[in-house]
Amino acid sequence: MQLLWQILVNGVLLGGLYALMALGLVLVWGVLNIVNLAHGALIMLGAYACYYLFTGLGLDPFAALPVAMVLLFCLGYLIQRYVLNLIIRAPMFNTLLITFGFEVVITYLAQIAFSADFRTINPSYAGANFSFLGATVPLVRLLAFAVALALTLGLWLFLEHTRIGRAIRATAQNLIAARLYGVNPRHLYALTFGIGAALAGAAGTLYGVVSQINPYIGSGLTAKSFAIAIIGGLDKSIYVLAGGLFLGIVEAVTALYIGPTYTDVVSFGILVLVLIVRPTGLLGRTT
Amino acid sequence: MKFSTKLALAGVGIALLATVPWWGSAVLVQFGINALILATLAQSWNIIGGYTGYPSFGNSVFYGLGGYGVAIAMVQYGLPFPVGLAIGIGLAVGFAILLGLPVLRLRGHYFAIATLGLAEVMTAIVSNLEIAGRNVGLILPLVKGDVLFFELSLILLVVTTLAVMWISRSRFGFGLIAIRENEQAAAVMGVNTTLYKILAFALCSVFAAVAGGIHAYWITYLDPGSAFDVALNVKMIIMAVFGGPGTIFGPVLGAFVLSAISEILAAKVTSLASIFFGIVIVAAIVFMPRGFADLVRRFRQSGWRYFQENIRTYRV
Amino acid sequence: MDDILEVRSLTKRFQGLLAIDHVSFALQRNEILGLIGPNGAGKTTMISLISGTLEPSEGEVIFEGASIRRLPAYRRGRLGIARTFQVMRPFPDLTVLDNVAVGALFGATGHSQVLQDARERAQRWLEFVGLDRRAQQRAESLGGPDRKRLELAKALAMRPKVLLLDEVMAGLNHVEIEEVITVIKKVREQGISILVIEHVMKAIQSLSDRLLVLRNGEKIAEGRPQEVLSNEQVIAAYLGTKRHE
Repeated sequence: MQLLWQILVNGVLLGGLYALMALGLVLVWGVLNIVNLAHGALIMLGAYACYYLFTGLGLDPFAALPVAMVLLFCLGYLIQRYVLNLIIRAPMFNTLLITFGFEVVITYLAQIAFSADFRTINPSYAGANFSFLGATVPLVRLLAFAVALALTLGLWLFLEHTRIGRAIRATAQNLIAARLYGVNPRHLYALTFGIGAALAGAAGTLYGVVSQINPYIGSGLTAKSFAIAIIGGLDKSIYVLAGGLFLGIVEAVTALYIGPTYTDVVSFGILVLVLIVRPTGLLGRTT
Repeated sequence: MKFSTKLALAGVGIALLATVPWWGSAVLVQFGINALILATLAQSWNIIGGYTGYPSFGNSVFYGLGGYGVAIAMVQYGLPFPVGLAIGIGLAVGFAILLGLPVLRLRGHYFAIATLGLAEVMTAIVSNLEIAGRNVGLILPLVKGDVLFFELSLILLVVTTLAVMWISRSRFGFGLIAIRENEQAAAVMGVNTTLYKILAFALCSVFAAVAGGIHAYWITYLDPGSAFDVALNVKMIIMAVFGGPGTIFGPVLGAFVLSAISEILAAKVTSLASIFFGIVIVAAIVFMPRGFADLVRRFRQSGWRYFQENIRTYRV
Repeated sequence: MDDILEVRSLTKRFQGLLAIDHVSFALQRNEILGLIGPNGAGKTTMISLISGTLEPSEGEVIFEGASIRRLPAYRRGRLGIARTFQVMRPFPDLTVLDNVAVGALFGATGHSQVLQDARERAQRWLEFVGLDRRAQQRAESLGGPDRKRLELAKALAMRPKVLLLDEVMAGLNHVEIEEVITVIKKVREQGISILVIEHVMKAIQSLSDRLLVLRNGEKIAEGRPQEVLSNEQVIAAYLGTKRHE
């Protein structure tokens, strides 16, 4: 029983991070109809940004997080503004292929710049734990979870209560409605992708703190983000959160009762099952 | 260009290619084998993606099953290569039928994601199988001489292309095209859409599996990551889409040209082949999203403005 | 006269919305039955239920004496039931000729197995509807009235016994409507039984042997055109709805 509780705690903590990972992907998908196969690569970049800020400038990872977000935001903005905007009205399939191209380029540049070695981000408090109702909770994981939740909530507030946020949501419906908000659509699209990238960057930072990174983690993280997004449902941030938590717990349980090497089998197996049985996600509306 | 002319050109091309191992450098031959295998994959994708209109991201599974079929047969049971191929084909076709049934009911991008999910699941499952060597993989017996593999790959490509040619002029092919263009209308007109989709999927699995088997035997090494390489899916799709999906020679052309461009660019700055591949993809989607066929057709009218027009059509 | 197609107590619900409510009627061999009713009455839904595009919630569809309720759409097509779509569905990238050839290849038993043969048959159907000049054009490039001709040719190429027409006259001018009426009558002369949905009142009056009126998914009248159109309920159903002359 004790063990199960620990597993659940682990799962929830992981789930928060998962939700954050998928959030950027879902935002861009829902608003811009862009299926971003480079999403995982952006997460990877966020992780490395944090790594170099930490080892180079001595910034605490959680302080480096906003910086990483800003950096990724700029990158995402530029990518959307000067490349993706050029093909945005093409069939969605094209965005899939082009973002794959980006993934390839980013991964290789990363390999050259950062070398293929595994790295970890180890702040001084990395080993600190505390006890929560009998379960051991690593401090970094708890902090990561808290940040992930905060950002998820932040995104929701941004989309609901700011003018720009509402303009972005309107864009998901149709472009003309968005123009009514008085924002240049090219800029609006670029902003959206930039925010998606910033969220990926944040997820990367947190990922780097709790796990090892190397330039090749991108495609696996993209696939995982897809699974989270689809399983939860694409309609609302809260669904993504639910999807993340669900998958986090499922993976933790699988790791214990079946084996740690089977987590991907279960996660992607569930993805396929969900698509077959209920493509709008466990929570999404059935049209 | 008339079809008979194209056919003649293709014949000449095949004959020429067949001679490459005798005068080409080792590097060229290796490049050739890779290009031929990629071309076969692009062509196999063409069947389900180009003709039937179901963009599969799961052909890498068939490729991997082919590779593992050969590897397991040869390494664990000491069976000869052709038997291994047969096993690989059997596995792939079985997979195509069993999993095709539920997954082919999904439309468009949901189908794509489902097949992507399947690819990930297979990778994960195989990495846990003892018989497949788990994560470490398997090492196959060595056969010296790239000539053999080059010719085998060439034959495979020719057979696959012949199959596509047959499809393009058969009732079956017409049914597939009808499904692609408008599945509901096809159904009411009498096309058994479920059966046809599964057949198309199974057919493409055969060729992808053989490609995987040949590649595994050639490289003499197989592990889940490389066998079920998910990136391979996107590569074959891009090649088919550029060359011209739903045409007979398009995917082959697309594969050769894209491989050649990346290789040539990379030759200047070694070890950066992949980067150029990525850049070429981005540039191609922006400037010529409809593939070579469209480029050739409309370049005559518009000249260099063709590229500008494409951007204007699809930009914000 | 026997019934080639019969619908018994056919019902269709969409998540709580009752689209078709226990409707029964029969299409007699070689007759032209007009199906009319205000917008949203369920006319297209009825055709979709008969062609197999939709599955009924309750009730039966009987074709030539045998139940076809469990048969998928493609089997019904091969048995001899063909339909056109109100929102026209050509195969956009195929030529006009090849669009029709699909019907010849896959339609009712006795279909061609050979592409060349199917194309020849398709050519003849194109002549029948007056589209032969456009045989090599891409179907996507056709304008409205020509698309309707194409829909018809595709259905005919299947050599059906029953033809379900869904608003083939919408948006056509008087001359074009007359042409369509002539073509439909020629089709009937070939022994095909026809169910026609139409809003163009004058046309459907002159064309139909009998009329069937749906409103909110229910049958409210059935019989000869004069009787049906002077029926009070029918008139009431249309009050407030513009009558197309």
